[in-house]
Order: sequence, then C-alpha cells, then structure tokens
Amino acid sequence: MEPIIRLKDVSMVYGVNGTRATALAGVSFDVRRGEYVVITGESGSGKSTLLTVLGGLQVPTGGAVRIGGADLSALPADGLADFRRETIGFVFQAYHLLPYLTARENVMVPMSPERISPREKASLAGELLAAVGLAGMEDRLPSQLSGGESQRVAIARALVHDPPVILADEPTGNLDSATGKQVLDLFSSLHARGKTVLMVTHNLSNLARATRSIRLRDGRIEDDRTRRPLTAKPLAV
Amino acid sequence: MNIRVLAWKNLLRRKSRAVFTGLGIFLGIATFVAISSITSQMEGAVQDQLDRFGANIVVSPRTERLSLGFGDIALGGTEVAHSRLTMGDRERIASIHHKDRIRSIVPFLMTAVDASGKNVVWMGLPAADVAGARPWWKVRGGSELRRGEVLLGAEAAALLDKGPGGTVTAGNRLYRVAGVLQPTGEKEDGMVIADIADVQVLAKKSGAVTHFEVAALCKDCPVEDIVAQIGQALPGARVSAIRQVVESRKAAVDHLRRLGFGVSAIVLLIGGLMVLVTVMGGVQERTREIGVLRAVGFRKRSIFSLLFWETGWVSLISSLLGAGTGIAAAYLASPAFGIEHPAIVFSPAIFGAVVGFSLGLMGAVPPARRAAALSPTEAIRSL
Repeated sequence: MEPIIRLKDVSMVYGVNGTRATALAGVSFDVRRGEYVVITGESGSGKSTLLTVLGGLQVPTGGAVRIGGADLSALPADGLADFRRETIGFVFQAYHLLPYLTARENVMVPMSPERISPREKASLAGELLAAVGLAGMEDRLPSQLSGGESQRVAIARALVHDPPVILADEPTGNLDSATGKQVLDLFSSLHARGKTVLMVTHNLSNLARATRSIRLRDGRIEDDRTRRPLTAKPLAV
Repeated sequence: MNIRVLAWKNLLRRKSRAVFTGLGIFLGIATFVAISSITSQMEGAVQDQLDRFGANIVVSPRTERLSLGFGDIALGGTEVAHSRLTMGDRERIASIHHKDRIRSIVPFLMTAVDASGKNVVWMGLPAADVAGARPWWKVRGGSELRRGEVLLGAEAAALLDKGPGGTVTAGNRLYRVAGVLQPTGEKEDGMVIADIADVQVLAKKSGAVTHFEVAALCKDCPVEDIVAQIGQALPGARVSAIRQVVESRKAAVDHLRRLGFGVSAIVLLIGGLMVLVTVMGGVQERTREIGVLRAVGFRKRSIFSLLFWETGWVSLISSLLGAGTGIAAAYLASPAFGIEHPAIVFSPAIFGAVVGFSLGLMGAVPPARRAAALSPTEAIRSL
C-alpha cells in the first residue's frame, strides 16, 4: 500500500541577510495511512518546520513531499490551499480560535468560502462540537471556554472537511495534565477511526499512545521507531 | 456563516477602527452632498428671485447723441429720440414668438412735474403692477396704490414734508399719499410714484411711455432670442437685456459649487487614504489571523474577499450615513444661503453614496491584495 505521506530528502534552509539557517537537512520518511506518529526533539530541532512543510504551508527548499498522492512542490498557491482544506487538519498549541466568533462559528470558519447553506454549516459544526464533547457550548465565545474546551473547538475545526491527516503542534502544551489527557484521548479516538495523526510534542508521555515515534536533532532524523503495530482500520468515507 | 458575515463580525469586534476607517468617507460624502444640495437649490432660488425681481429686459426709445457747438466752442450735447414709445407698444411686445416666456410687461413714464410747489420727478407705472415690478420696496403706510394716490420716495417725502395719509397737489389736483418708501438707495428715493395714467395726465402726454420693463427670466430662457424678437416688433426701440445680473449670480453659484466639489474631493481623497492606511495597518495586525485562515484552507481570493467585504461594509454604512447627514445639513443650512423653501435633493445623495462606496472599495484594494499575497510562511511564523 502506498504511504499517505512520503518525504524524500527534504531540506529547508532559511537565509536572512546573508546568514543561512538549516531547519531541515535531508529528512526522509514514509507514513502509512492510519499511523499515529509522534515527532519529538529539542527546541530548534526542526519539528515545527517539518509540520508546516507537511501541511503545505511552506515549500521545502530541497527534496520532495507527497501527501495523498499529491506532489506539494508542484501545486500552485490555490492548489496548496485546496490541499490543506481537503487533506490536512491543523491543531495548534495556542488553539488560534477567532476571539470574536462563538465556538460554533469558529468551527464553521473553514466552510466560510463554500456555497453551503448556513443551516447545513451550523448543523455540521454542532455535530462536530458534540463529537468532541462540547454539546451545549456552541454559543460560547473563546473567552468563555477553558483551555481544554478551546483546544476541543480547534480539533472540531480541524475535522470540518474530514481530512485524512491531522497535524498537531504541541496540542497539550498549554494544558494541565488532566485536560491534556482528555485532549490526547480525543486524538486517540480519531486515530482509532482511521485518521493519520502526526503530533509534534515535547511531552514524552504522549509517546505511549503513538504507533511510531520520530526524534529530530539539528534538522535530521535521529531516531525513527515503531512503538506498536498498526491496528486501526482505514477511515470509511 | 460566510465571508460577508465573517467580515461583519470582525468589524463589530473592532468598532473604533471601523469608525475611524469610515470617518473620512463619511465626512467627504456629507460635505459633497450638503454642498451639492445647497448649490443646486441656490440655483433654483437665484432663478426664482430673478423671476420675482422681474425685469431683465428694458425697452426704451433708440436715441442719438447730438453735439452742440458754436465755432470752436463746445456747448455740450443732447440725446435725441428717433421715436417714442406708447402704451400700444405693450401689445406689440406681447405678440412676439416667445410671448409665452414673458411674465410681465410694465410701462413706465418718467416726468418732472411740480408737486406741492416742489420740483420732483414722477414715476408712473400701472398701479396694479407696483408689487410685481418692485417687490423689494418696503412701504410705510398702505402698500397698495390706486389711481389718485401716490407713493413717496423717502427723500421726496422729506422734501415735501408729507407722510402716509397726507396730500400732494399737482396739476390743480390733490393726490392722497398712500405710503412712503423706506430708503432704497436708488433714484426712486427722490421720486413720487403714481399710476401711469395719472402721470400721463400731469405730463400732458396721453399714452406716452418712457420705457418698458419686460420680465422674461426663467430657467434656460432664450433671452437673446426674446430681445431680438422685441427689437423686430419695435424697430425704433433699443432693447437691452440685463443678462449680466443673471450671469454674475450664476457665476457666484458656480464658484461656490466648484469650491464645494474641490473641498469634497480633497476630503474624499483623505478619506480614501484613511481607508488605505487603516486597512493596511489592520492587515499587519492580523497576520496571525490570516495565517490561521490560510492554514484551514482559505484561498488568496477568499482572504482578498474578506478584507474587501470588511471595507465594503464600512464604506457602505459611512457613505449612507454621510449622504443622510449631508441631506440633513443642507436642509437645515438652506435658510442661511437664502433658500426660502428648502427641499430634499436626492440626486447628490445617491451619487455621493455610490462615489463613497466605490472610493472605499478602491482604497481597500491595495491592503486586500497585500493580505492575499501574504505568504503562509510569513503568516504562520506568527502562530
């Protein structure tokens, strides 16, 4: 089976005022559909850069990235936007909810440019919020939600287009351990439903739920190991 | 929720910024609409005043100046009329091709006749036409003039020592003083005004007329054509249009209108720049938000559309408010500009609202393009 993600010799070099900083230096790995990959490493090891490259937010300066059969370096800007909308669900450490929108409206944001009836959008957002355990909180503003609840809204937002790949950047970084566990349970359930999850984290306790871990150091893969066999069924569409 | 609602909600979140963004457009459109409304009404008011103030064509006998002298000694000169005007000429003037454009034809007879032993000039005109021919006269006493009555100019009243209710003797006949004019600063201050028939009797010139005042002013009136047609009807008469009065007043209104347009254009330009600067600043502040939207799959066009709609809402609301305020300001300020019957003029308001809305949208294009062109890398770095 062809991997859903394939990175081959990916490098990312930033150059500012004549100075060059290498964030990724020849990173290659494949991810099979349904894997739960935790990416760890020290600060500056290239974890976040790797995530933005995987999400099509940055085009690497070298190498090739194929996700779901699409060569990201060959896609135009709008093609990358469509790719992100259809294939990737982003979850950020700081949630990045729009503060002037309610929980329901935040979940509806990715659907804003689409010609779907408002009722349909609201209905889907309500279902997703219920699925992440926020039924009854649809009309709350982010300022009225706890950190864990905000992160759940962000996860619901990431699932709007039912993407096969979830990219999460330190999703429990701003949460206490109990709330963090609830959020990780949510990722586990997504994984159990066949989603491919790639999570960047400092927290080594998150490794326990992963099927695989990749450790970066200075932009290179230092360690790549399977932690438990892949048992999740592919997502039924 | 769609892009329009998203834009609207963002505006509500940043109310003070939205108000500041729309302020320039609001002021520009309000200024434009107010000045346009006032100037267009002033045009009508000027025309109305000219119509009411009557004469814009004077018909008098054609004259020739004769120089008198003896040898090398100059003895001055005199004006010699080629022909005389009579009351019958009124009908001839009224029969010209553009007769439907003539509002009134008032015959005048000027003559010098003693009144109560003092030599004064008498002005005769039909008693019924006094109010129409000289609407600016303010009369102390009775304002209506009848045959056998006179109105005295302020200086004439002082000279004759007469007031309303008094009598003046002329040609062995008594004339009752119906009223005294308040000073006008014109020659009639020293005159005795009476019905033209009475003056013709006093002057012993039955049916004689010194000149006619013709009121033919109306909007877009072909005054030159009317002058030519009267000239043809009365070949011996000199027909003069006092067009410069009209032109000078129209020129004053035109100057005001140009000044208003200039001020409005500058204010609108500043408003457009305010939109540009404010929205551009907003783009800088919202890099993170734009990054989130790009991350969740917004295309460049959607980002552009979002910024465009935000400014569109502000421009639309501020333009409509500006147009409404302009109409109200024009209505309230109209009396100060000599407009006696203020009216609500919608055409400048509609035009102004469209211009303001368009200008706001134009001002939003550069920042919206910048936001759309913001690379996800740059946007995502702030996440």
